[in-house]
Amino acid sequence: MTGITRRLFNTALGSAVAVGGLSTGFSAGILGSWTTPAQAQGAASVVTVATIGEPPTLDPVGTTSDLVSIITQHMFETLFTFDGDWKLAPLVASALPQVSADGKTYTIPLRSGVTFHDGSTVTADDVVASLDHWTKASPRGKTVAPLVESIAAKGADAVVIALKEPFAPLISLLAMNNGAAAIVPKSVIDGPGALKSLVGTGPYKLLEHKPDQYIRLVRHDGYVSPAGTPSGYAGSRKANIGEVRFVPVPNAATRVSGVLAGQYQFADSLPAETLPRIKGAAGVKPVIVKPFGFPLMIMNTKTGVMANQKLRQAVLAALEPNDMLLAGLGDPEFVQAEGSIYAQGTPFYDETSAKPYSDHAAGKAADLLKAAGYKGEPIRIMTSVQYEFLYKMSMVAQAQLEIAGFKVDLQVLDWATLLQRRGDDKGWDAFFTYHTFVPEPSLITVLNPSYPGWWDSPAKREALAAFNREMDPAARKAKWVTLQTLFYSEVPSVKVGEFYNLAASSDKLTGYTPTPWPFFWNTDLKG
Amino acid sequence: MLVYVVRRFAGMMIVMLLVAMVVFLIARVVPGDPAAVMLGSAATPEDIAALRGRLGLDEPLLTQFLLYLGQIVRFDLGESIFLNRPVSQALAERSELTALLTMMSVGIAMLIGVPIGILSAAKRGGLIDQTSVGLAMLAASVPSFWIGLTLIKYLAVDHAWFPVAGYGPPDADLMERMRHLVLPAIALGIPNSALILRFTRTSMLDVMSHDYVRTARAKGLPPLVVVLKHALRNAMIPILTVIGLTTAVMIAGAIVTETVFGLPGVGNLIVSAVLRRDYPVIQGALLVVSAIYVLINLTVDLLYAVVDPRVRY
Repeated sequence: MTGITRRLFNTALGSAVAVGGLSTGFSAGILGSWTTPAQAQGAASVVTVATIGEPPTLDPVGTTSDLVSIITQHMFETLFTFDGDWKLAPLVASALPQVSADGKTYTIPLRSGVTFHDGSTVTADDVVASLDHWTKASPRGKTVAPLVESIAAKGADAVVIALKEPFAPLISLLAMNNGAAAIVPKSVIDGPGALKSLVGTGPYKLLEHKPDQYIRLVRHDGYVSPAGTPSGYAGSRKANIGEVRFVPVPNAATRVSGVLAGQYQFADSLPAETLPRIKGAAGVKPVIVKPFGFPLMIMNTKTGVMANQKLRQAVLAALEPNDMLLAGLGDPEFVQAEGSIYAQGTPFYDETSAKPYSDHAAGKAADLLKAAGYKGEPIRIMTSVQYEFLYKMSMVAQAQLEIAGFKVDLQVLDWATLLQRRGDDKGWDAFFTYHTFVPEPSLITVLNPSYPGWWDSPAKREALAAFNREMDPAARKAKWVTLQTLFYSEVPSVKVGEFYNLAASSDKLTGYTPTPWPFFWNTDLKG
Repeated sequence: MLVYVVRRFAGMMIVMLLVAMVVFLIARVVPGDPAAVMLGSAATPEDIAALRGRLGLDEPLLTQFLLYLGQIVRFDLGESIFLNRPVSQALAERSELTALLTMMSVGIAMLIGVPIGILSAAKRGGLIDQTSVGLAMLAASVPSFWIGLTLIKYLAVDHAWFPVAGYGPPDADLMERMRHLVLPAIALGIPNSALILRFTRTSMLDVMSHDYVRTARAKGLPPLVVVLKHALRNAMIPILTVIGLTTAVMIAGAIVTETVFGLPGVGNLIVSAVLRRDYPVIQGALLVVSAIYVLINLTVDLLYAVVDPRVRY
């Protein structure tokens, strides 16, 4: 090379690297890639659904990812499910189970003639194998495993689960669509690993999966639907749409544009500030999902400075949840400063035991700090820009805690790093995450003593055990209030409030029911 | 020439080995764990440890690296943790899009950058020069995602001339797929055209101050012949260099544009692999992209000899 060329080359290289570096840094915050458009092709109608990204797997058992359940609930079914009032209803089972008087034996009758996508009929053996797999492979099933005495077939059309001690949440756990107790053929189960092939009993089956481009689910013609009026996830299911195509579109602005342009018939998880644009557009309507989820600031109750309960109470007193919610989500229409872990209108709502949530009397935080003997140790709070609303909330929390006299070390990590670091109890004092609405309280992650945060005081252990033993719904409510009271006195986490999800749907898509995990059976396309 | 090419290829092998080592180490040193990402937020540390065992991630680093090296020498890039397919297949699936997008956007960047660069050098200090230099500054400063979102708003949402995003439905033919790449190619091409424009102008100005250009003018040759035949050919080396670099950067560096337009290209494959800690994909994709980088540089070096007979290898 000549001198001038080399100089120019170096300059060019410098700017090229700078541009490359910049784009990498920027997009790391956006998450992955991809898409495909709608145009219905051929005879079958196609609904294209823009999701937030590529799911990590399509195996519904091993993961509790919401994105995975949104897609896989069309392919796989569980014994039970939830209706529109979040009450339990049968799905592959023909009725709710008969529970013995001591609460230890569940006899589950099965619907006859239910077929898998491969054409074979569901047998009691398949169900036993599926449930057994669930207790080994699912994070939810594993929590049940130590309590299970046996799972066995009873004749051709029933299954019996025998427990070592009464465990009231069992049916709710079996009804969840993530970490799901999916009913699959015995032949596709391969130890505790992923399923050998994705064969279920759902109204849709997998046609093609091109990672980062699309997941095509087509109607399962041999589908045998449960009976009854559709309500929530329960009742009869009809696959009116020929193909449901899930398209990963990680950029939220692109999801909005795509649904406005008619390229997608449904777009999930849209920024709250795009509501006016969606409202003003022709042919598209907004869908606001309530209840949807609640942000949590989870504290390390096991190791480090936050193991001090007084200090955690001081955090609760110092935080102004409303400011955090508004900073995070922007629009008051999408948030509610609600301290009760279950929001108003749901069966487990309780206002009284959540009082400390809104008690921010002047000086309370300072008094608690003094009582805790806090000496200015830095509070290491982990947060991630990958969930922007959580990041914004954590910044407000940092400011509020510092005003109250805390020293805060806010660590901004990418989500994968946060997930790894939170497993080490010596590495952090608090982190921000959110929890999707779950119909059964015992499914809330914070209650699990092995979930990072490790909330496991003797009082809580006793209250949770009592709650899980209680079979009577009214008595369960009273025992839940005891647990919520402990949640607000021991403060293992701060519930920031409720937030709602914005989605958008084409006017052509009819029969859609808003739920935290959108589903497309019983919907139709007109025009 | 042949000896030179052979020598360059040998050097390339050493570079590749170094890349393999660095990429492997960086991927493992960065915290985060594919098992934790895969299992979701309710997973406990015990679940994660069990999955790590099944994925072979609990082996000592050296063992993992030797296994990896063993694969590479057999031209096997390994199996993706998340995608249920070999890394080579995942790369192949995305190479068409990336190749088309790179060609289209480099084409657009060249069509804008080279002619305007020449014109603005020929009319140095004039209205065209000042306007184009100003516009180039603007184009280089505007982020490509903004250009992308603006194009989507006006050309795809308000007027449905182009699709908003994606790479076409499953049965789309090549024309349909290319139609999906028009807006992204413009969004990528505009900022890069500014770079090419600036280089063309600078290089042309440099050449045009040389004696032989003055001689050509003095001979009474028409200005067009002086500029295009005498000056441009000699100004080509830096221009080729910057075009080669632009091409190389776009192969893996179009990530922002790919994200905005929801395109399943190589850049996005790498970024999503990084976010999920899909080690085999990170390693395999970066290795292949580095190889392409080196090959493009080699091609550019060989092209120097074509445009400039004085360059001999």
